[in-house]
Amino acid sequence: MKTALSMLAATALAALSAQATTAQETLKIGVLQSYSGMTALGGTHTDMAIKLFQQKYGDTPGGFKLQLVRRDTTGPNPEVAKRLVGEVVTRERAQILIGPDFTPNTLAAAPILTEAKVPSFVTGAATTGIVGERSPYSARTFFATPQLCKPLAAYAVKQGWNKIFVVAADFAPGHECEKFFIAALKEANGTLAGNLRTPLSNPEYSGYIQRIRDAKPDAVFIFMPLGELSIGIVRAINDSGLKASGLKIMGTGDITDEGYVDAVGDAALGVITTGIYSTQHKSALNEEFVKGFMQLGEGKHRVGWSAVSAWDAMRIMYDALESMKGQKFDPDKFKAFVYGHKFESPRGPVQIDKSNGDIIQNVYIRRVERVNGVLHNVEIETIPNVPFK
Amino acid sequence: MAAILTVLFNGVAYGFLLFVMSVGLSVSLGMMNFVNLAQASFSMLGGYIFVTALQGYGIPFMLCLPIVFFAVAIVSVVLERLIFRYFYKTDDLTQVLLTIGLVFMSIAMATYVWGGTYQRFDMPAWIIGQKDVFGLTLETYRIFLVGFGAVMAVTLIFGLERTNLGAMVRACVDNRRVATACGLNTELIFAFTFAIGGGLAGLGGALSANLLGLDPNFPLRYLVYILIVVSIGGMGTITGTLVASLALGIADVMGKYYVPQFGSFIIYLLTVIVMLWRPHGLMGRGA
Repeated sequence: MKTALSMLAATALAALSAQATTAQETLKIGVLQSYSGMTALGGTHTDMAIKLFQQKYGDTPGGFKLQLVRRDTTGPNPEVAKRLVGEVVTRERAQILIGPDFTPNTLAAAPILTEAKVPSFVTGAATTGIVGERSPYSARTFFATPQLCKPLAAYAVKQGWNKIFVVAADFAPGHECEKFFIAALKEANGTLAGNLRTPLSNPEYSGYIQRIRDAKPDAVFIFMPLGELSIGIVRAINDSGLKASGLKIMGTGDITDEGYVDAVGDAALGVITTGIYSTQHKSALNEEFVKGFMQLGEGKHRVGWSAVSAWDAMRIMYDALESMKGQKFDPDKFKAFVYGHKFESPRGPVQIDKSNGDIIQNVYIRRVERVNGVLHNVEIETIPNVPFK
Repeated sequence: MAAILTVLFNGVAYGFLLFVMSVGLSVSLGMMNFVNLAQASFSMLGGYIFVTALQGYGIPFMLCLPIVFFAVAIVSVVLERLIFRYFYKTDDLTQVLLTIGLVFMSIAMATYVWGGTYQRFDMPAWIIGQKDVFGLTLETYRIFLVGFGAVMAVTLIFGLERTNLGAMVRACVDNRRVATACGLNTELIFAFTFAIGGGLAGLGGALSANLLGLDPNFPLRYLVYILIVVSIGGMGTITGTLVASLALGIADVMGKYYVPQFGSFIIYLLTVIVMLWRPHGLMGRGA
C-alpha cells in the first residue's frame, strides 16, 4: 500500500515537473491593499491601474504567466497585514508583492518578506527608512515624506512669504513632516511664525485659526492625512476670511488631493502644494494614462497617487521579468534589476535608488486652478530628482 | 478683545452645530428611551438628500431643509414600523448591537449609492463669506447656524417638551400599559416621535455636512460627539442637550485657542468631570 502510494506520488510529481518545463512558469503576485473601510478607494484605484496596465501590456511579461492574489488589508492594521502577507507568501506561494499599503503594514510585512526573499513594491506608505535596510527586497514607487515636506520652505521664501505658520496633524507622519519643513525653513532663512499640532479627530478648527490670525503669518503650511481633516482645514481657513485677506495656503498634496478637491471647492483655489503626480502633467504617457483610467472608471474616478504608484510598480515588474526571459524566477536577480532602475512614469522620470530601493523623483509645486470648469493641481514648478532623505 | 469675542462666538456656533447634530438622538434616546445609534446614519442620509437636492436638482437652500426633514422622517418611520418597534422593550445592549449593525449597513449602502468619495457642496452666495457685526468679522454660515439652532431649540423645547405631546410620550415610555389603558394610542405616538427624531437627525446632517465633509463614514466619525452631547445633557431633556452643546462648543473652541497643545482633549476632560459629578447628565431626570 505504502509503495503504491509513493509510486503514485512519484508519477504525479513527474507529470507536474514535465508540465512545468513545457508550459510557462506561473508567477503569483500578491496584491495587498485596502479594499474595504475608510481607505477602500486606494485598493480600488490600485486594481484599476493594474487592470489598465495589463490591458496594454498583457499578463505574460518575459514568458511568466502572472496570477494576481488579492487580499484586503482593511486599512492601517499591522496584525491583519502580517497575517495576510504570511498567507500569500507561505500558502499561496506568491513571489512578488504589490503592497501592503500604509507604514505600519509595510513594517509588519518586512521580516517575512526578507526571510522569504519576496520582492515587494511599496505603493502606499511614505515614512522614511521603511525600505532598504528594513526590507532589503522592497522598492518604493510612492514617495518619501521629505520629498513633499521640504521643498515648499525654500519656495515660499523665494516668493517673499517669509513668516510661515505650520499646522500638522498630531500623529507620527505629522511630526515627521513638521520637523522636515521647519528644518528646511531654517535653511532657507525663513521665519517660523508659530506651529500647531491638531488632533486626528477634529471637526472644529476656529480656535486654531484664531491663533494663526494672531500670529499674522504670510503663509501657512499644512500637513493633514487624506480625508475630512484636509477638506476641513482648507475650508475653515477660507471661511474665516484669512485667505481673502492674503494668507497663502500651502501644504503637501494631501490637502488638495484629486480624490476630493471638488469637495474642498472654491476654497482650494490658489492653494499651493507639493506633489509627485498631477493629472495635468504634460507628457504623452500621462495623457494616455489619464484617458485610459477615466475610460476604465467611466469618468467616476479621478486618477490619484495610489493609481500611479501601482502603475509604476507594474512597469518595473514587467521590465524586470522581461530581463529574465527564458530563466527561472530569481528574487535576487529581480532585486538587482529593480534597484537602480530608471524609467518614465506618467508622473515624469523616476529612479529607484541603487543601494536603498527608495524612490528618487521629480517633485512638483502645484497651484489649484480651474481647468475646463474642474479644479486641478496645475504644476507650476519642477524640482528635479529629489532624494528620499 | 476682538479675538476673545470672535472665539466666543465661534464656540457658540460650534455649540449650535453640536446641538443640531445631536438633538435627533436626544429625542429618541432621551424621550423614548431607545438607544438608537443609527441616528448618526439618519444624519448622513439627511446630508446626502440635502446634497442631492441642492446640487442635483438645484433646489434653493432654504427649501432643501424642510425636504430633508420630511424625507428622513418618512424613512425613519418606515424603519420604525419594520424594525425598531420590535426592540422598544429589549435591553440597552440589544438596542446598541442592533443599531450599530444598522450603522455599518448604512455605510455600505451609502458607498453603493453615492460612492466612497466626499461630496461637494456649492452653498448659495448669501450664506458664505463673512459679515461685520459690532466690529467683529464673523462667518456668515456660523451666524446662520446660531440663528437656526436657536429657533430650533425654542421650537422643540416649547413644542415637544412642554406640551401634551411631550407628556404623552413620557407617559408611554414610563408605563406603556397604563398609558394604553388611559386611551393613548402608544403605537402612533411612538412612531410620530421616532419620525421627529429621525427628521431632526437628518436636518442636523444637512446643516453640518458641508462643514464636516460628507462621505459614507460620516456616522462613525461623529457618533462619539453626538453621544457625548446627549449623555452630558442628560436623558430626556432637550434643554439639557442645548446646554451641553453650548458648553462643549465653547470649551472646545476656547481650549483650542488658549491651550492648543491639549487639542480636543478638553471636550473629553469636561465629559469625564460632568459624568463624575452628575452621572445622569447636567439636567437628567435620573433613572
